[in-house]
Amino acid sequence: MSLIQDPSSFDAITTFEGQDAVVALCGKVENLAASELSAALNATIDRHPTSVVLDLTELDFMGAAGMVAVADAEKRLATEGIKLTVRSPSALVSDLLAMLETAEETRLEVELPEHDHLGPEQQGRAPVVSQRVGSSMAADDLRRLTAMPADPDVVDGALRLIVELARTSVVGADGVSISLQRHGRLSTVAASDQTILAMDADQYSTGEGPCVDASLKGHWFHAESLATETRWPAFTPKAQELGIKAIMSSPLTSLDRPVGALNIYSRTASTFEIRDQEAAAGFAAKASAILSDAQVGVSDTQMAMRFQEALRSRDVVALAKGVIMEREGIDEDEAFTALLRLSLEHGEALRESAAATVRSVVQAEIVRSVPND
Amino acid sequence: MIEPPLDVLDSYRQEAGLSHQELWLRYFELGGMSTGFELEAFLYGMISPTAHDHDVIAHAINERFAELGGDHPVAYLCGANAD
Repeated sequence: MSLIQDPSSFDAITTFEGQDAVVALCGKVENLAASELSAALNATIDRHPTSVVLDLTELDFMGAAGMVAVADAEKRLATEGIKLTVRSPSALVSDLLAMLETAEETRLEVELPEHDHLGPEQQGRAPVVSQRVGSSMAADDLRRLTAMPADPDVVDGALRLIVELARTSVVGADGVSISLQRHGRLSTVAASDQTILAMDADQYSTGEGPCVDASLKGHWFHAESLATETRWPAFTPKAQELGIKAIMSSPLTSLDRPVGALNIYSRTASTFEIRDQEAAAGFAAKASAILSDAQVGVSDTQMAMRFQEALRSRDVVALAKGVIMEREGIDEDEAFTALLRLSLEHGEALRESAAATVRSVVQAEIVRSVPND
Repeated sequence: MIEPPLDVLDSYRQEAGLSHQELWLRYFELGGMSTGFELEAFLYGMISPTAHDHDVIAHAINERFAELGGDHPVAYLCGANAD
């Protein structure tokens, strides 16, 4: 990854067919070039097109600032009643999604000059059997955890882009939306069309449906054919009235908690195949990573609880390493490898193997301390 | 167009649907000693983690894959998943 930005490495070429505009982006839209992209998009909108196609087929990369520029243009187009369509071949979709991660990269680029202790000497630390986390390391990371870039523009722009990409790349998708829990209520934050907005609203009002279930239960729901669907008796007839025949809802999570759903509907029954289901899961995973970084739906208290939980697990792992080090006469890193092998052998999480290791010592101590009659 | 994959670990992180901070928390739970910033630098291939740090990161990602019903695709340098 290059941290040197060359703002001249991209081109925005606008062509008009009548009043339909096509803005083709080529090369890399690094963050410094975002204003150039913004200017190109605004110049296009100033000519009052009836539709705008954003052609990303020749685009290699787009930074977070570029996404914000696209999101802003989309907002402007929406207020003027002009639809924005994103054109990209499916092969590019995955790359594009990787671009969405760049909110994080931006952070990295900003922070780099402030850190001049990145040498290898930082990596080798003295082994500590049971370290307490009053260290500046934990303090730094706690600050980072509570100071993530939660810019709603970036988050909303990224979610809208995911909706648009899912609509163009999932075969059989007629509409896509993202629902999120905000202030204890579900609402649609990005939608590709009016039908899916109406469908989501029907689910919120009846309190049932695949989107509600995926958002609250954190499971994946697929209604292959609404004609034979029995799980949501109040909602299903309403969706059918809208001409919807099939729905896939994939859960979105923020720091492992269910906070919303990516909903895809089709006017054709039984249209979503395995590859579409996998694509939906992929888009949901990307959206979840973005939501997690912005800590959407996660309160400070929940964040603190998650950190406490992490501290508890870390303590158990440290104790188990100490036990193994003492028992086997090996160093801390080797003790971790031993725990790792144990967890793989037993097919369990490493913290469970660690807890079992600690328990075995405690039990042995109890047996030893009971006097023989 | 194709560049050497410096960010193999980060590709796995993305595939597992983990954000950087979730991964750091999981790495921290397993006893990882590096800061979140250093972890990101490892992920992007900007600096090389020690073999031990690499394996802690690999396992943090692999445990997520296991939770999702998958295998342990990230290889350990200690050879644990080659057994």
